[in-house]
Amino acid sequence: MLESFQSYVDKAKHFYETKYIFFLFLTSFILFAAFAQIAWQYHTTGDFLNKGVSLKGGATVTIPGYYDALGLDTMLAASYQGYDLSVRELRGSSGAQSGVIVDIDIVDQETLQSFVSQLSSETGISDEMMSIETFGSRLSDDFFSQLLIGLLIAFLFMGCVVFLYFKDFIPSIAVMLAAGSDIIITLAIINILEIKLSTAGIAAFLMLIGYSVDTDILLTIRVLKQKEDGNLNERIYGSFKTGGLMTFTAIVAVGTVLVFTNSDILFQIMLILFIGLFVDIMTTWVQNVSILRWYLRDKEGAH
Amino acid sequence: MVDFAPVKALFFRWRVLMLLFFLFASLLMIQPSFFTEGVAIRSIEKESPAALAGMHSPYAKDKPMFREVITSLNGQPITSLDDYAVAVSSLQEGELVRLETLSRYAYEGGTRSLHMLRQEMLYSLYYNETTGLGIEVYDAPTSNLKKGLDLQGGTRVLLEPETEVSPDDMDIVIQNLQQRLNVYGLTDLVITEAKDLNGAQFILVEIAGVTKNEVQELIGTQGKFEAKVANQTVFSGGEDVASVCRSADCSFVVDPQRPCQGSVGAGYYCTFSFAITLSQVAAERQAAVTADIPLSTDGGGSYLAADLDLYLDDVLVDTLKIGADLKGRAVTEISISGPGVGATYEEAVQNSALNMKKLQTLLITGSLPVKLTIVKVDSISPAVGEEFVKNVLSVILYAILAVGIVLGIRYRHVSILGLIMATMLSEIFIILGFAAFIGWNIDLAAIAGILVAVGTGVDDQIVITDEVYGRKKMARHLSWKDKLKRAFFIIMAAYLTTVVAMLPLFWAGAGALKGFALTSILGVTIGVFITRPAYAVAVEAVLKEEGDE
Repeated sequence: MLESFQSYVDKAKHFYETKYIFFLFLTSFILFAAFAQIAWQYHTTGDFLNKGVSLKGGATVTIPGYYDALGLDTMLAASYQGYDLSVRELRGSSGAQSGVIVDIDIVDQETLQSFVSQLSSETGISDEMMSIETFGSRLSDDFFSQLLIGLLIAFLFMGCVVFLYFKDFIPSIAVMLAAGSDIIITLAIINILEIKLSTAGIAAFLMLIGYSVDTDILLTIRVLKQKEDGNLNERIYGSFKTGGLMTFTAIVAVGTVLVFTNSDILFQIMLILFIGLFVDIMTTWVQNVSILRWYLRDKEGAH
Repeated sequence: MVDFAPVKALFFRWRVLMLLFFLFASLLMIQPSFFTEGVAIRSIEKESPAALAGMHSPYAKDKPMFREVITSLNGQPITSLDDYAVAVSSLQEGELVRLETLSRYAYEGGTRSLHMLRQEMLYSLYYNETTGLGIEVYDAPTSNLKKGLDLQGGTRVLLEPETEVSPDDMDIVIQNLQQRLNVYGLTDLVITEAKDLNGAQFILVEIAGVTKNEVQELIGTQGKFEAKVANQTVFSGGEDVASVCRSADCSFVVDPQRPCQGSVGAGYYCTFSFAITLSQVAAERQAAVTADIPLSTDGGGSYLAADLDLYLDDVLVDTLKIGADLKGRAVTEISISGPGVGATYEEAVQNSALNMKKLQTLLITGSLPVKLTIVKVDSISPAVGEEFVKNVLSVILYAILAVGIVLGIRYRHVSILGLIMATMLSEIFIILGFAAFIGWNIDLAAIAGILVAVGTGVDDQIVITDEVYGRKKMARHLSWKDKLKRAFFIIMAAYLTTVVAMLPLFWAGAGALKGFALTSILGVTIGVFITRPAYAVAVEAVLKEEGDE
């Protein structure tokens, strides 16, 4: 029994150590599929991600009077599931509450009317007393194009630094590719889960760069620069011991927050990180390792 | 017997000393307080009952914990905004109000002085039903950390353009407002276009850390700057101005040729000045106007008979004499000046600096294509609120504990585990200390940045620990120095890569991700240069100690 288990492990290990071409195709296919999902998203919705109220805009309703903002938020969230909404208090200059503001990502008039009449019946304030405005994105129109340019420059800079370290193109591109794939595959998964992103969610995707770079740099240095640690496979497994612990620790920390938080915003950040860290396991220990194996195929006979 | 000598020796290693120094400095910067009382004063309206009773607005640069706090009103203790609102609502016209406050500053004559400890102050005001007390308040801060719009709330202003605005002009208005509000530096703000159900246009501004008066002054005005000679406009802000000097060598908060004047009773008056470069067209226009102006008869003919009058929104700001040698010449280099007044010398200088910044911004941006009227100004509660902050703190604590459990199982070494935990906590503390020091607003994006820094911090500590402890067998032949060198080689590579990746994000999206980029760069830098070297030294000491046994 134990013997056969051991033989499975050995077979899997052998497969992992030799079939890098297969893994290269597999990871390329997954990256391609993620691109396809994002393109599909863009084709059907006109945006390459699901925008929440802070990114897309919506309606803002101001209700005069004194209300428990938190209570109203919970109640509205229950009856308007799938919408991104926030309730905030307004205070006059004396410090007394003068009303509440409800932001929600409703754009069509009909839904807005029924939303307002529900607000009116919940609060006992007639809709003439409320002021209703629709507003656009909280970020400027060219935010996403600027962000994209920023990210491109960021990846270019990253590539330069890694190149200065290794004086070699392939490993530098591999690190950039790993961080880029991590973001793209995670975005595709978030799209499939139909999660509406807020501005904080954008920051979460950028956080992935930091986590992704750590493991990839560790792997690349251990494999290319610290040859005293043994043959190629020993170096890969050695770096996996360290890097795997890094990712595992981060997953546990993020998972803990995910379970205990009651904030939608924090939940969203952590969910993106949680998915991204799992994707990072693949992009580092399958994709990047396979690229390095392929790159070193003639230089080291460690098949 | 326990020997404390190695522990003692550890404290005197410079890397550890440096960490302790930064921890202590951060504590001084943050000044956390566990008991808060009262409501803090954000601003005092001019000529209001409060101002007449001798109360003063805080300066924009004052740290939150140095703000004056109202602790009781007519003997009733004030502990929250609601207390204050209730107490104020029961006041009658003309009623004598006795306000007790705690203040770090004392005003004597023309100067403001700082006290080591907070002093109790007592003010007597007469309530005025139409203007109120003239005090704008907010929940008393519990530390010097400034929270951003999404955590603390701020001011929400609804603006209506006087006439319908085309989409292009709307973009100009929004960009212009953005630049004007950035006068206050590190504030976060959101400007969006809004429409009501009838299609009327509005502009919605939400901004943290700025008083209502300041917002009204900055965005309620069109910002039309004109320089006139003999009632003819020679140039105006925006297109006519090629560049505005904002560096110390050609812009002066107090003009060296015109020092501040005044006295304790009458108040002080300062003059700022800075150089601008006019466009060629504007310079020639000015030359054409001045060519026809005769020399002044008094003063020996060294000046022209007409002055250069500077107007802001049709109000005369300053008058400058025009030298005779400038007559009819197309000069592009021009010096602009204006006043700053205040009850104290310090206040006058502060106002002079603020006015100069405002005028510089207006000269760069030009006037708004349309006049905006303020529909309403409200204080707005944060999008996520106090519950969120409490929740964030507790879940971060759980996350740190979870990390502790994982690393505890992996390394099975109490001292190492303790050191990792201590390093993580000190990293967070020093980042917050820096934030308090530079007056950075902690918002959600900044928290995300801190989490990146702490996360990569744990990564680096794992690299160090694995190198010196976890992988004992593999690299037994290496010396301590070599092991740490190997670890820091990896750490530096990861550090540099992360920093260069964050740099472009600093500017991307009109600075929307500035907070995120700054805190993550700051955090990983603090980690790599302060906390992680100290951790390496400490682990070395702990393990060497064990090796000796």
